[in-house]
Amino acid sequence: MRFRATVENVPIFFRIIQAVEKLQKKCIIKFTETEMHIICNDDANEGGTQVWSVVKIDSIFTSYRIQSNANNQITMTISTEALLSALKSSSSSAASSTIAAAILPTYDADEVVMKLAKKNDHAVLSFEMFGMSRTGRRVRVAHDVRIDVMRPADVEKLREPLCPEPDVHILLPPLQKLRTIVERLRPLSDVMAIQVNGNGKLQVSISTDTVKLETRWTGCPNPPIAREGQAQDGEGGNSHDALEKPDPEKMFSVLVSIRSFLKFLNSHVVSTTTIACICQNHCAILYVYIGEVADAGGVLTFYIPTVLDGDD
Amino acid sequence: MSQMMSQRSEAEEAKPVLTASVHDVRYFVALLRGINIANRASVTLTREGGMTVTVEEGRTLLATSYIYPDHFDSWEYNLEPTRVLSSQQSSLSKDSEPDSDSTSFEIPLGTLIECLNIFGTATFSSATAGSKSKKWRRGEHDDASDDDAGGRQRSRAPSNAPNNSRIEQYFGGGGHGKRTSMRLSYGGPGYPLTLLLAEDSTGPTTTCEISTFDPEPNIELPFDGDRTVLKIIFKSSSWLREALSELDPSCDKITFVSNPADEARRAQRAAPAKPLFRIQASGSFGSTEMDYPNDREVLETFECTHAISVSYRFGHISKTLRALQSSTKTSLRIEEEGLLSLQFLVPVPKPRGGMSDSFIEFRCLALDEGGD
Repeated sequence: MRFRATVENVPIFFRIIQAVEKLQKKCIIKFTETEMHIICNDDANEGGTQVWSVVKIDSIFTSYRIQSNANNQITMTISTEALLSALKSSSSSAASSTIAAAILPTYDADEVVMKLAKKNDHAVLSFEMFGMSRTGRRVRVAHDVRIDVMRPADVEKLREPLCPEPDVHILLPPLQKLRTIVERLRPLSDVMAIQVNGNGKLQVSISTDTVKLETRWTGCPNPPIAREGQAQDGEGGNSHDALEKPDPEKMFSVLVSIRSFLKFLNSHVVSTTTIACICQNHCAILYVYIGEVADAGGVLTFYIPTVLDGDD
Repeated sequence: MSQMMSQRSEAEEAKPVLTASVHDVRYFVALLRGINIANRASVTLTREGGMTVTVEEGRTLLATSYIYPDHFDSWEYNLEPTRVLSSQQSSLSKDSEPDSDSTSFEIPLGTLIECLNIFGTATFSSATAGSKSKKWRRGEHDDASDDDAGGRQRSRAPSNAPNNSRIEQYFGGGGHGKRTSMRLSYGGPGYPLTLLLAEDSTGPTTTCEISTFDPEPNIELPFDGDRTVLKIIFKSSSWLREALSELDPSCDKITFVSNPADEARRAQRAAPAKPLFRIQASGSFGSTEMDYPNDREVLETFECTHAISVSYRFGHISKTLRALQSSTKTSLRIEEEGLLSLQFLVPVPKPRGGMSDSFIEFRCLALDEGGD
């Protein structure tokens, strides 16, 4: 098993891990010859949210070499926090907050090499960084992140959640803004409803004994439903095609845990475009595009299951 | 809840008791946040007086915010006499305001504030913090030209001023000129309080319905102005805010000591000091004393009829800090029995220019110490 790559785009890698870090302590990363898959499918996490993401190797790595007996794929489980701190130390620009940038690196790595190694009889993902310190001296920093390589048989068992055909797709407003609003809802309720129709309307609402609150956006583009992977154009305000949907006014809704949804909203650090799909009373699927949609370097897919409401 | 539902349909066409709108909720929120010491607040609406919001804590502390109709861009209050007779009279106990023109209900205050801040633009941002600290510096300059007594506060003020405004900047939220505007309506007893909030015409809109409850009588702490022993007006609220925020939160007791101006003196060989006005706080880790100078730039008004020393729970007094933050001037009065009345002046710009003076009042019962 051989694996070695230069991490060219540390900030993106860092932010992707940052987005999943809040969700789960450990995640699964599967490297193939062309893609990196990051998977969080632990049942233990809040509300059963799953993340299945695909990132193109070209958008993060260069000098990428991979070899294994399992069809040249390597799948590992890794601590998100440890991976995050390894990446954080490699670049001051990776740390998005100014505070982190201020404490962390006193050097900026010119090159970050990631490779699979064995230390003390245990597999590690070793990050080696070469850079220049402030005083102009050459520095080399190495982080070893302990991993467990998964057996191909176990990898086979990984399955993306099966969902019915989504009822409706919509382009979400900037996640940062959405997050402000959802954060206000959290002290008021545990569960919120997301309602979407085919006519550009998005509503998030809560309803408790003391308060009913509903925030409504109109004019959010509905991307064509056919191929969700590529068909959207980022601006696309003119895709209100009522042809495929019999009644664009019909609202489809799903109840989700606010805490789960906030964890998804942590991905605002990578997001440029986010598309939400609603499978009525089943789940919400959220596609977070990494980088510009046109040359999407990858997509993080969040599955947030519905909360079964005892009252209904 | 069920009763609310059934009533709604039957009176759909009836005019709501109150409809009001404002283009910038920050002042409204500041007046509510100042008294956010307990979740259940009672709201009284009157034609002339606007909205009075009252919160009590531990049967000892009573906080009231006065929000006048001229704070709103529009304020329309219609109380139909029939409705007063049917549902009001029964639900209002005899303790409540005798004014038959008023409507009362209770509301979860924390929820209301949270809803108003849904877009994160309902709190003050850096722009206003700047103007606030300017006012403050002016006070400090005036002070510098006067006698030595103000020295203590003076040395503290400049170090805190920039610090404070930076914090307010940090917490200012997305204050890039974006404001939350609100339209509020209340249909009458049994109806929810309905808010319609928006940031700008292109952005999202939020509708909230906050359940209201039948009012329960609050404790009454009538302040008898004729029996006032001590009356102080702080020229700037910061003179009190600074002092209170200096105290350690672990303090459990705060004492106001005051002597009439002509008897006040510093400590001499034989006699202990008789401070003009002193704030003392004590807790398990020690005690703090702060003396105020007899200076009109600090204490604009000082009237004290005889020497007093009254103690309050520090936890109660420190609850006023948020109200102090948004106020410019503070009046402190203590009555013969030790009842404390703190009034905080909060200037609110009127929608059609000019300023309207609103205020937040706290009343607090003294600790029962037997000793004095």
